[in-house]
Amino acid sequence: MSGRRTGQVLLMLAGLIAWAVQFTVIYGVTSTLCGREWADVTLLGVGIVHAVVALATLAALIVAALSFLGSWRIHGGLGETAAAPDRFISQAGILISGLSLVVILWQGIPAFILPACA
Amino acid sequence: MNAPERSEAFDERDPALPNPLPRPAGEFEALKKAWEAPRGLSFITAVNNTYVGLWYVGTAFLFFILAGILSLIMRVQLATPESDFVGHDLYNQLFTMHGTVMMFLFAVPAVEAASVYLLPNMQAARDLPFPRLSAYAFWAYFVGGLVFFCTIFFGLAPNGGWFMYPPLTGAKYSPADNADWWLLGIGFIEISAIAGAIEIIVGVMKTRAVGMSLDKMPVYSWAMLVFAAMIVIGFPAIILGTLLLEMERAFDWPFFIAERGGDPLLWQHLFWFFGHPEVYIIFLPATGMVSMIVPAMAQTPLVGYRLVVLALVATGFLSFGLWVHHMFATGLPKMSLSFFSAASTAVAVPSGIQVFAWIATIASGRMKLTTPSLFIIGFLFIFTLGGLTGVMVAMAPFDWQAHDSYFVVAHLHYVLIGGMVFPLFAAFYYWVPVASKYALSERVGRWVFGLMFVGVNVTFLPMHITGLIGMPRRVYTYPVGMGWDALNLVSTIGSFMIAAGVALFIVDFARRFRIARDENAGNVWNASTLEWLPNANYNTRSIPIVASRDPLWDQPKLSQDVQDGRYYLPGTATGGRETLVTSPFDARPQYILQVPGPGWQPLLAALFTAAFFLLLTVKMVLLSATCGVLAVFCVIWWLWETDPGPVRPPADIGGGIAVPVYATGSMNHSWWAMIVLMVVTGMVFTCLIFSYLFLWLVNPAAWPPQGTLLPEGFSPFVSCTLYVVGAALIAYASRTLRGEDRRSPRAVPVLIAAALLCVGGAAAMDLWAHWRTGLSPSAHAYGAAVYAIVSLQIFFVLTTLIMGLYTIARWLAGRLDSVRRTTFDNMMLFWFYTTGQGLVALAVVYGFPRLTGGV
Amino acid sequence: MDLKTTRQGLPWRRTVTTRAAAFACALSLAGCSGVQSALDPAGGDALRIYWLTLIMTLGGTLIFLLVTGVLLYAIFAPPERRAWLGGRRTIVVGGLAFPIVVLSGLLPYGLIVMRDTDVPMPGALQVEVIGEQYWWRVKYPEEGGKSEFSTANELIVPVGSPVTVTVTSADVIHSFWIPNLGGKIDMIPGRINRLSFTAERPGIYRGVCAEFCGDQHARMAFDVVALERTAFEAWRAAQEKPAREPDLPFLSRGRALFRAAGCGSCHVVRGTEADGAFGPDLTHVGSRRTIGAGQFPNNIGTLAGWIANTQHIKPGVRMPSYGSFTGEELRSLAAYLESLK
Repeated sequence: MSGRRTGQVLLMLAGLIAWAVQFTVIYGVTSTLCGREWADVTLLGVGIVHAVVALATLAALIVAALSFLGSWRIHGGLGETAAAPDRFISQAGILISGLSLVVILWQGIPAFILPACA
Repeated sequence: MNAPERSEAFDERDPALPNPLPRPAGEFEALKKAWEAPRGLSFITAVNNTYVGLWYVGTAFLFFILAGILSLIMRVQLATPESDFVGHDLYNQLFTMHGTVMMFLFAVPAVEAASVYLLPNMQAARDLPFPRLSAYAFWAYFVGGLVFFCTIFFGLAPNGGWFMYPPLTGAKYSPADNADWWLLGIGFIEISAIAGAIEIIVGVMKTRAVGMSLDKMPVYSWAMLVFAAMIVIGFPAIILGTLLLEMERAFDWPFFIAERGGDPLLWQHLFWFFGHPEVYIIFLPATGMVSMIVPAMAQTPLVGYRLVVLALVATGFLSFGLWVHHMFATGLPKMSLSFFSAASTAVAVPSGIQVFAWIATIASGRMKLTTPSLFIIGFLFIFTLGGLTGVMVAMAPFDWQAHDSYFVVAHLHYVLIGGMVFPLFAAFYYWVPVASKYALSERVGRWVFGLMFVGVNVTFLPMHITGLIGMPRRVYTYPVGMGWDALNLVSTIGSFMIAAGVALFIVDFARRFRIARDENAGNVWNASTLEWLPNANYNTRSIPIVASRDPLWDQPKLSQDVQDGRYYLPGTATGGRETLVTSPFDARPQYILQVPGPGWQPLLAALFTAAFFLLLTVKMVLLSATCGVLAVFCVIWWLWETDPGPVRPPADIGGGIAVPVYATGSMNHSWWAMIVLMVVTGMVFTCLIFSYLFLWLVNPAAWPPQGTLLPEGFSPFVSCTLYVVGAALIAYASRTLRGEDRRSPRAVPVLIAAALLCVGGAAAMDLWAHWRTGLSPSAHAYGAAVYAIVSLQIFFVLTTLIMGLYTIARWLAGRLDSVRRTTFDNMMLFWFYTTGQGLVALAVVYGFPRLTGGV
Repeated sequence: MDLKTTRQGLPWRRTVTTRAAAFACALSLAGCSGVQSALDPAGGDALRIYWLTLIMTLGGTLIFLLVTGVLLYAIFAPPERRAWLGGRRTIVVGGLAFPIVVLSGLLPYGLIVMRDTDVPMPGALQVEVIGEQYWWRVKYPEEGGKSEFSTANELIVPVGSPVTVTVTSADVIHSFWIPNLGGKIDMIPGRINRLSFTAERPGIYRGVCAEFCGDQHARMAFDVVALERTAFEAWRAAQEKPAREPDLPFLSRGRALFRAAGCGSCHVVRGTEADGAFGPDLTHVGSRRTIGAGQFPNNIGTLAGWIANTQHIKPGVRMPSYGSFTGEELRSLAAYLESLK
C-alpha cells in the first residue's frame, strides 16, 4: 500500500481516531486521578479532571473538523476523471468526520453535568 | 430504479474482453484437475473453501442446536418456581455452557464460517489466500469444540458463568478442573478465530475480482473486513485474560486476588474489552448479509452504500468504547461511567443508519415476500426492539436496576437472536442454492419463520417485565409468590416454539440440501453479485472485470462470458491451484498467488494443537508437551511446501496483461498476514501493559511492595544492547540478500545465527536479573505482573528462535535466495516486532517503578 | 402494614407515583407483587430511575411503532406512494438526524439522573454489609454513643432518613440490590463501594444478590424493613443488648445443646461464650423475619429443619447438616434460638 493511500485512509478515519484518542485520554486520566486521589488540583480555577475532559474534547473536535474540511476540499478538487476509490474515500471521510463531530461532542457532555470523582 | 431496466455496460460478445474464443483445448480440463478434491477417505484433507466452508458452517450450526437444547433444559427448570427438574450444580453448568457455546462455538465461528464459504465466491477469487490456515482453524475448532462440549456429560463443564469472573473462578473457590476447561478450551478456540480473521482481512484486501475497487466491494466484504479488524483488536484482550487467570490458577500468580495486590476488576476490564465488541463482531457480518439479501429481494441496488459503509466502520470503532457498560454497578466514579454511557448512546446511530438504509432500499424496490425476506423483516422487528432497550441500558441509572436482571436477558436475546440468528436463517434460505442442487422449501420456510418469530417474542418479551419486577439472572430457581411464575411459564412455552421452528428447519434442510459440486440450483433470486456466477470447486472459470456494485444486473452477459473463459486467468498458469491477487484499493491484477492444495499437515497440526491444550487441562503434562512439539513439527512441515518462488516467468492472464507468479515485499499476501499478526501480538502486549498499569493504580504505595529489590541498571542496558544488535544483524542480512540474480550468500545463515544468540541472550539476561533479586511471582501482584511481561517476551523470543532456525534450514535446503525470500521477510518482520516489544518491556519493567518512585 | 396510607410528605410525588405505578402494573400482565420490584419505587432514587424507565419505555415504544410502521409501509404501500421513502434522504433523516436529536436529549437527561441518584447525604445512617457465600453480614457501626452490633440477612432502616450502605465481600463478587429502593452495587473483594438511598415509606422490601456467586446464588436474599423513627430506635436499642437468658428449662437445654454441638465456634451469641466469627451473628436471631438468607419464615419449625438439613435445603452452604439431633433436641435448640429476640 503506497504512502498516498495510507494518508488517504488515515484522513478518512481521522475523526474516529480522534474520538478513540479522546476517549482513551479522558477515561485514563479520570481513572488515574480519581484512583490516586490526585483530583484536587485545579487548572485555571477548573478541577483538573474537568479541564482534561474539556481540553481533550476540544482537541478531538478540532482534528475531526480539520478532517471534515480536508476531505471536503479534496472531494471538491476531484475532477471528472478521478478514480472511483479516490472519490469514495473522500466522501466517506466527509461522512465519518461529520459523525465523529457529534460523537466527540457527546463524549464531552459529562464534564458539564457530573462531579469529578464521586 | 430497478436493476433490470438499466443500460448494459458491456454489449454482447464484447471484443474488448481479455480472452478470445474459442479457448485452447485442455485449458479447462487442466483447471478442473488442479482443483479436484481428494477422493475417498482422504477427502478430509481438503482445504478448499467450498469444502472447509461447508464443514465449518455445519459444525457451527451443530453447536447452535446443542446450546439450544441446553437452554430448553433451563427453561423447563424455570417453568415453575422451586422446581426440582435439575439441581443447582447442573443448572450452573448449563447456563455457563449455553452462553459460552453460543458465543464462542456458534456465533463467531458461524459468521466466520459463512465468510469462508461466501467471500471468495462473492469476490470471484478461486479460494482464500491461505486455504490451509482455514482448514487448520476449522479442525482446531471442530475437535476442541466437541471435546469442550462433552464435558457437560461428565459434570466437568465450567460452572462460573460465561464471563468467568474471578475470584469465583480462581483456584480457591473453583478448585476443580471445570474452570480450566473454559480457560484452555476457549482460549485456544480464540486462536482459531484470529487465524480466520487474518485470512479474511487478506482475502478482502487482496483477492477480489478485477476492477472491484473499494467503492464497488459488496457490503458483505466491508462488513467482514470490519469484523476481522475488530477480532484482531478485541480478541487479544480475552486471550491475555485467560492466560493470566490460568497462570493464577496453575502457578498462584495473584493477578486477581485482592489480598495480594491483585484486583478482580482487572479481569472484568479485559473480559469486556473483548466481550462488548464481541456483540458487534457477531452483528456486523449479519448486517453484511442483510445488505446483500435486501437488494436481491427488492430487486434494486442498496440505497446509501456509502452511509452503510460509514455505519460499519463507525460501529467498529465505537464498539470499543462501550465495555464498562457491563460494569456500571462496580462502583467506578460516575464520571468514568458516563463516558461509556455516551459512547453506548452514540453506537445507536450507525445501527439506525443501517436500518433506514434497508427500509429505503425496500421502499425503492418491490419486496418479494420470500422466506429470506420474512426473516429479514423479523430481524428488523426484533433487532429494533433490542436496540431500543439497548439505549435504555446505556443510561447508567436505569442499568443499575436492570443490570443482571432478566431485563438484560431479554435485551441481549433480542439483540443477538434478532441481530444474528434471524439474518443467519435468512442467509441459509438465501444462499443454499449456491451450495446445493435444490433450494429450501418456501412453504416450509414460512412455518419455520412463523414459529421462530412468534417463539422469540413469546419467550423474551415477558422477560423485560420479569426483570424489572426483580428477578435476577443466573438463578437455578426462584421462590413462589414473587409474581414471576406466570411470566416464566410463558417464556418456557415460547422457547419450545423456537425449538419447533428450528426442528422444522432441520427436517427441511435434510430433505432438500444436496451438495452441488458443479450444478447448483442457480441464481434463483436473480441476485446481482458474483457468488451467483456459475461456480465449482475452482469457483469461476475466469475472473471477471467488475464495473459496478451489481455486476450481474449491469453486465447481463457476464455469467456466460465468465463461464466461457473470456475473462482473466481462464486456466492455470503454473499447473497448480492459483488465484489472482489484486491491489487493495483499485483491484488491479498484481500477481498470481500459488495456492496450496489438500494436505494432511493442517489437519494433523490442528489435532495436535487441540490435544496439547486439552491434555494440559487434565494435567497430563508430558503427553501434552509431546503433542505440542508434534503440532509445531506439523506446522513446519506444512510451511515447508509454501513460499514456492517464481516457478515460471510472468504469465499472460488475458488482455495483454502478464503478471508474475511470485511476489515479495509489501505486495505479498503473507506480508499482509504478518502485519496483521503483529497487530494481534501488539494488542496482547498492550493489554498486558494495561494490566501492569492497572495493578499499579490499585496498589498505592506498594509498587513495588516494600522490601522489593529492583535489579541494577546494567542488566537492562545489556539486554537492550543485545536486542538492538540482533535486529541490526538481521537488517544487515536482509541487505546482503538482495538482487535479481537469485543469490544466496553464505553470510545470511551466519548472521541469523549470531542474531539468535543476541536475542536469546537478551531474554535470558532479563529473566536472570529478576530472579537474582529474589522477586517472587506469587507473593504479590507486582511480581506476577513483572514475570508475566518477562514470560511473554520469552515466548516471543522462543518463537523467533524457531523462525530463525527454520529460515536457516530453508537456506541450507536451497529454498531461500535473493528473489525467493518471503520466508526471510516474514521472519524479519517478526524479529523486528520481538525487538520492539522487548525494548518496551524493558522500559516498563525497569523504568516505571523508578519513575513513580514506588508511589 | 398498609403501605399506601403511610407514605409521608412529597404530595406531588404521591400522585404521580400512584398513577405511574398503576400504568406500569397495567403494562405488566403479572401485576406488581411489590416486595422486590423496580416498578414499585419506595424511595427517591428508585422513583427517579422509575421515571427514567417510564419515559424511555414510552419513547422507545413510540419509536418502535414508528420504525415498524415505516417498514411495513415500505413493503406494502403501492409503489408510487412509497417512492419518496426510497432515497438517501430517508437514511439521513430517519437513521442519522432523528437518532442524533433524540439521543442529544436523552443523554443529558440520563446523566442528570445519574448525578442525582445514589448521592451520599450528610448525617446518613451508616451500615456495612459484607457479602458472603451465600448470606449477608450486616453491621451497624458505633454512632453517637450507640454501640456497634452485627446482624445478618436483614437491613432495618428508618423511614425518611438517608442511609449509606458500605459494601464489600468476604469471598467472591456479590451484588447488593434492593429494587424498590434503587439500583444495585457490586460487592467486590478488596474494594469498598457505597450505595446511598432513602426509604420514603414504611414497609418490607426484599433485596437479592444480583451477581452470580456460586452454587446457591439463587438463594441469597435479605429483608429490608423500613420502620418509623421511633420503632427503628427501639429495634436498634434491642439489638445492642446481649442475648436474652433462657427463662425456661426447655430453652436452657437448647442453649446447652448449642454449646455442646460446637455451634459457638462459628456463630456469635453476645453475652455467652459463643464467639465464632465465621457464620451469622445469632444474638438476636429470633427477631429476624426469615432464615437461610431470606429463604424461610423464621419459626421453630423452620429453624429445626434448617439445622438438621442444611445441606439438603441449600446444598453448598458452609454450614454442615446436623442430622444427629433427636427430634426433641432439635425442638429445644430451635426454641432457644427462636427465643433470642
